[in-house]
Amino acid sequence: MNAANKTAAAQGALILCFLALAGYFVLNPGGNGVHVQEVPLVDVAFTNRATARMSAAEVIRTEGDASGQDCYACHERDKPPKLKFNPDQSVVNAKEHMDITMGHGSHNRNNNCFNCHNETNLELLQTRDGKELKLVDSAPLCGSCHGPTYRDWEVGIHGRTSGYWKRDAGPFERQICVSCHDPHSPKFRPWKPAPGPHSMRSVAVQADSGHSTTTPHL
Amino acid sequence: MSHPIVQSGPPAGGGAEAGDGMHRRSFLRSSAVLTTGLAALAASLSPLLELKDLTTLERFVQKYYKELTPEEMAKVLQRIERDVEEEYKVRPHVRDLKPMDGVEFVYALNLTRCIGCRKCVHACVAENNQSRTPEIQYIRVLKLPHGSIDMEKAQHDYSPETVPEKGFFYMPVQCQQCKNPPCVKVCPVNATWQEKDGITVIDYDWCIGCRYCAAACPFWARRFNFTKPLIPKERLNPEMAYLGNRPRRQGVMEKCHFCVQRTRAGRYPACLEVCPAGARKFGNILDPESEVSQILSRKRVFIQLKEEMGTSPRFFYYFDV
Repeated sequence: MNAANKTAAAQGALILCFLALAGYFVLNPGGNGVHVQEVPLVDVAFTNRATARMSAAEVIRTEGDASGQDCYACHERDKPPKLKFNPDQSVVNAKEHMDITMGHGSHNRNNNCFNCHNETNLELLQTRDGKELKLVDSAPLCGSCHGPTYRDWEVGIHGRTSGYWKRDAGPFERQICVSCHDPHSPKFRPWKPAPGPHSMRSVAVQADSGHSTTTPHL
Repeated sequence: MSHPIVQSGPPAGGGAEAGDGMHRRSFLRSSAVLTTGLAALAASLSPLLELKDLTTLERFVQKYYKELTPEEMAKVLQRIERDVEEEYKVRPHVRDLKPMDGVEFVYALNLTRCIGCRKCVHACVAENNQSRTPEIQYIRVLKLPHGSIDMEKAQHDYSPETVPEKGFFYMPVQCQQCKNPPCVKVCPVNATWQEKDGITVIDYDWCIGCRYCAAACPFWARRFNFTKPLIPKERLNPEMAYLGNRPRRQGVMEKCHFCVQRTRAGRYPACLEVCPAGARKFGNILDPESEVSQILSRKRVFIQLKEEMGTSPRFFYYFDV
């Protein structure tokens, strides 16, 4: 084989090689390498601004269905209901009030309904010094025992606020105690936390087991 | 006279017969090698054709934020509105909100109250148009065992059935809006700076993506867009600010900016409004009646995270004692 033929063979091989490469690049059989799986979207329930509970005061304020709050549908006026107590001094919860969980104060010491409710007018509340309050104005009643927290709440240190920090720019709202705390068992109940930061690694594992979808949300 | 010139010139068409000259056949073969080689090169570069959104002339010639006149700024805002509408099919309202006079923002977070539910994290993501894939989150909620604030024992990927867990407390960490911000010092192009209301902002159109600021931040507060952010268009928040929550591009830095699109319009930040425990407090420290002023004057125990770094955070953690 002379030099010219060798050159020709080499050039032919190069041409084939380049054609194969061009075909590989255009067809791209290996894909683009990085294939990012979609992280599942977080439930919008985790971004809502609702308070921890819907208080009776809030139902009244927003003019919702307050039929459950009509005391004298069952109770008689001018006849204060009689309380019964268990041997351990805890109040017996009437079966009509089973939606209420009693558990106020350490060791549930605050377990007499009329510590807060007015026994002669069940639609009202009363402080220990006999001042009558409407359900929607319950905060001073809570404050009569929880002084430091009430002071904090008054200036906005405790509790939830929303709206405008710049008071002259727009409305702002400060939630009252019972918007978040159940007055009958005020301790916060445990919550389900929102999902934590998503590691892309666990997505890849899911893809291997065939449980995740690749359909984009866009 | 012409004879010597012809002799010294290159061989004409018939000159191919010369001993070491170019043969017609070898010329064709070489050309074929060259052509296929170029074709292979072009094919290998073809993915570049899919590269959209590199930049536009308008964006490329845009001036530095602080040098923009109000008229130029209006044009820039229009350009952003147009770009966002084109991409997300949602017409946004983009504003350039300036800091207010006599306002310095401070954040206070009650560690006694925080229950670690992470609602703030996701309210922030929704408000500030952060990427959902990969996830970019400005707030990192740390779970710490009672007794000390030991970052070595902090976990951020806890996922129990319910929170709070016994024996632990939760500490959400986000940009601390330092008075002496190390991230601003290291930026080689001044794409991030501290404004007079205390918020350290980023001009996403000026950021070159070097990530020096992320390295300088002791709080791990800065987030980088390693890929093009993915935001489902039904979840895009159309109320935007230039220095705030307008969509970012690949290759730029972002971080918590105390929701400038809300707070400079007088509203509370999104993370505060969503907190079910009321643990988050925000306001103007220069106003003695504001919640944060009341907290700083009445409460006794404060923590400025990594105080020893000397960055003087405007973010205070406190306890109900």
